[in-house]
Amino acid sequence: MKKIIVLLVALFNLSFFGYSQVDTTLIKKDTLSYYDMSLEQLLSLKAHGVPSELETLINSLISVSSKKPINVRETPSIISLVTEEEIKKSGARDLIDVLRLVPGFDFGVDIEGVVGIGLRGNWAHEGKILILLDGQEMNETLYGTTQYGNHFPIEQIKKIEIIRGPGSAIYGGFAEYGVINIITRQAEDINGVSVSGTYGQMEKGFGRKNVNLSIGKKTKDFSFSVSGFLGRAQRSDQTFKDYTDSSYSMNGQSNINTNYVNAVLGYKGLSLRVIGDFYKLQVRDSYEKIASHAVSHEFNSVFSELKYVYKVNNKLTITPKFNYKTQMPWKSPAYDNESVFSKTAVRYRENITVSYDANRFLNVVLGAESFQDYATDNIDSSYFSNGKKTVHYYDVAFFTQGLIKTRYVNIILGARYDKHSAVSEDAFVPRIGLTKKYNRFHFKLLYSKSFKAPTIDNISYADSNCIHSEYTDFREIELGYQITRKSIITINGYNINTSEPIVYYTTQDSSSITDSYKNYGKSGSIGLEAEYKMKDKWGYLSVNYALYSVLHKSRIDDYRTPNDMSLLGFSNHRVNFCANWNITKDLSINATASWYSKRYAVTSLDSLGQAVQTSLNPTTLINCFVRYETPVKGLTIGAGVYDLLNQKIKFIQPYNGGHAPLPGPSREIIVRIQYNLNFKQKIN
Amino acid sequence: MSFFNNIVRFKTNWFFVCFMMLFFNGHLKAQETDYKSYALYVYNFMKYIEWPESQSADNFVIGLYGDSPISNEFKVLAAQKKLKGRTIVFKQCKTIDEAAGCQLLYVTSSKSSSIKPLDEKYKDKSILIVGERDGTVYKGASISFTTTDEDELKFEINKKNIDSHKLKISSSLIKLGTVVK
Repeated sequence: MKKIIVLLVALFNLSFFGYSQVDTTLIKKDTLSYYDMSLEQLLSLKAHGVPSELETLINSLISVSSKKPINVRETPSIISLVTEEEIKKSGARDLIDVLRLVPGFDFGVDIEGVVGIGLRGNWAHEGKILILLDGQEMNETLYGTTQYGNHFPIEQIKKIEIIRGPGSAIYGGFAEYGVINIITRQAEDINGVSVSGTYGQMEKGFGRKNVNLSIGKKTKDFSFSVSGFLGRAQRSDQTFKDYTDSSYSMNGQSNINTNYVNAVLGYKGLSLRVIGDFYKLQVRDSYEKIASHAVSHEFNSVFSELKYVYKVNNKLTITPKFNYKTQMPWKSPAYDNESVFSKTAVRYRENITVSYDANRFLNVVLGAESFQDYATDNIDSSYFSNGKKTVHYYDVAFFTQGLIKTRYVNIILGARYDKHSAVSEDAFVPRIGLTKKYNRFHFKLLYSKSFKAPTIDNISYADSNCIHSEYTDFREIELGYQITRKSIITINGYNINTSEPIVYYTTQDSSSITDSYKNYGKSGSIGLEAEYKMKDKWGYLSVNYALYSVLHKSRIDDYRTPNDMSLLGFSNHRVNFCANWNITKDLSINATASWYSKRYAVTSLDSLGQAVQTSLNPTTLINCFVRYETPVKGLTIGAGVYDLLNQKIKFIQPYNGGHAPLPGPSREIIVRIQYNLNFKQKIN
Repeated sequence: MSFFNNIVRFKTNWFFVCFMMLFFNGHLKAQETDYKSYALYVYNFMKYIEWPESQSADNFVIGLYGDSPISNEFKVLAAQKKLKGRTIVFKQCKTIDEAAGCQLLYVTSSKSSSIKPLDEKYKDKSILIVGERDGTVYKGASISFTTTDEDELKFEINKKNIDSHKLKISSSLIKLGTVVK
């Protein structure tokens, strides 16, 4: 043991001393030539010299939580930033692998084999976490869900900005609990052609066969890029067991097919983007039992955006944009006792945002937004609750934000007002944030109200046709301390209280199951998250811990467990670990691990038909990936093992909704090859 | 007992590792101010601002009011550079009165509250008061530094203060900074 400790300490100290030597060399630069810089050259001077790798990361500017770019340590939200480097070196198979390492995030299963997201113990699948991909709202508008599992093109991602907290004061009714802002590689990043392929092999069957292709080019005023992703995967190769212990093998019966294209044309401040996203799941997991055969559920979407960033002058920027999305989510055929489902939902959205820098200490953002939802039931015998084949809703919103920088504290005040045509009570969500960085130390003190607006089918299936927005109060605090130039520790606490959440429930009679929604009770959680990060030229290391509890909190009956601290499906304690070592300039090895404390799941029904819960043992997922940039310019290869211990972690339904835990993949060996052909001249 | 000892030893070892990681490397501070950049700007202020002829014959004196590591940079500057043939002299000022013989007075962040009395005391003298702290240009300094969100070092100019000290600033330097009222 002592030898290991000595070795560890020696390694850390070696790395630090190595850095010190670099500093000494810098000091010996030729002073005379330095003082002969031209006036123009002065413009590039930095106030704090050459930043370390970590400082570059933690001081990078992001705008996800403020519209106005602010550095990560002072931006008014609890933030996680995932970089392209981290994604590539970890060998992440999909977004689930990436988000699992972010404090507070976890996944569960909804209905029909769809895997959704939860945050801080709360099931957030139905429109409570906003997913933006290059600014496009990916949540479908019937229920607000986003589907996970080999869905998004992980190899095309440049960075992910994550708000682990409310975002409604900026983004409205889908951002109640969080925002995941995915930014893919743009024309200037691609600047050529990029091709990659991934193959994954589980114990009993293939895991995934993915192909990515990107092409892009930017000149001074003009840019274009087209990126495509073709994914063929399996959710699992394990055996699914329903409540009655009936089972089937998911190998060959849990296919996930993804076809995706993202194209953008830009000229100066004007851009036109179109995204096609066609996602198909093969499922046999039906309500409380196994379907007689595998059935396909489709989620087809087309997103488009026309945007113009008009910089009137150095102080004023006006950004009008128009978005159009058409979707056919949850499309499924008739099978067993289930009816065919086919609805088309269209959303038009208009937005204008004005950002004004009054001076260096004051920025004001003003905006107005409206959207119109149109939905059509494509099945002859099926109607919306208004008795018609179509429904139409609209929403008008205004939002504002003021950022005041003072020597002692940054003050962020903001609010958003939404008027929805189907909701009697208008939504108003204010926020206030106090943040500041004092050299090594930083703090954030945040209060925000947020809301989730009812979606088209929330309204359509509303209990007694009366449903309204749910509201959440967030109180958060974050403290951070930069221990050295290469390491930082942050700790944050939160208290979430949701009033009258929109709850999904089912009622069953002899012939059919009826879906319903109603505002009911209270929910929320309290907890803390801590993260230690170290980053340097040799690689990086991060460890984070997340705790949530619902002790002394009101709970929704369908989310309860026998443990007063827990909610269904989500571990109270999570520990994530990520380490990357750049063995040489071209070769890196990456290890990630996630530890879950015990979880509760509904696994069977008793003789009265009541849910029986089981406690699932703590689980550890360990993954390893090696990446090598070959001597052939642009060619990179990688290989790794996911779920090294073969724990086969299950996706648990985080509410009592008639579905047994869905097995995840077994140990998966993946190989990846990528080739980038850069165009000769890169213009920034 | 041995079980207890093992636990104690285990905890002690890990505490030792954490201690080494956190504190033995404490000499590596968070990202520090690059005073060389500040000094370079000051040198250019000297080059692109004109003092009255009555003060252009002798040595050029840079005064520093307040304690700051920039003193080392000023010492290097004074030792290695000349200003239009004039020798540059560095002077550490301990009191406001000691600034009397300076052509340029650099006031550190910690002494920002002294800028107003300095400006009042030397309002008829040709002393360029440069404030290290952001915003001091509004409180009597002729020039003060600012940093952008991207950590770029910039400066603001109070033309009225410069004029009142009978100094002439070149148009090229004005273009580089931001003139405030």
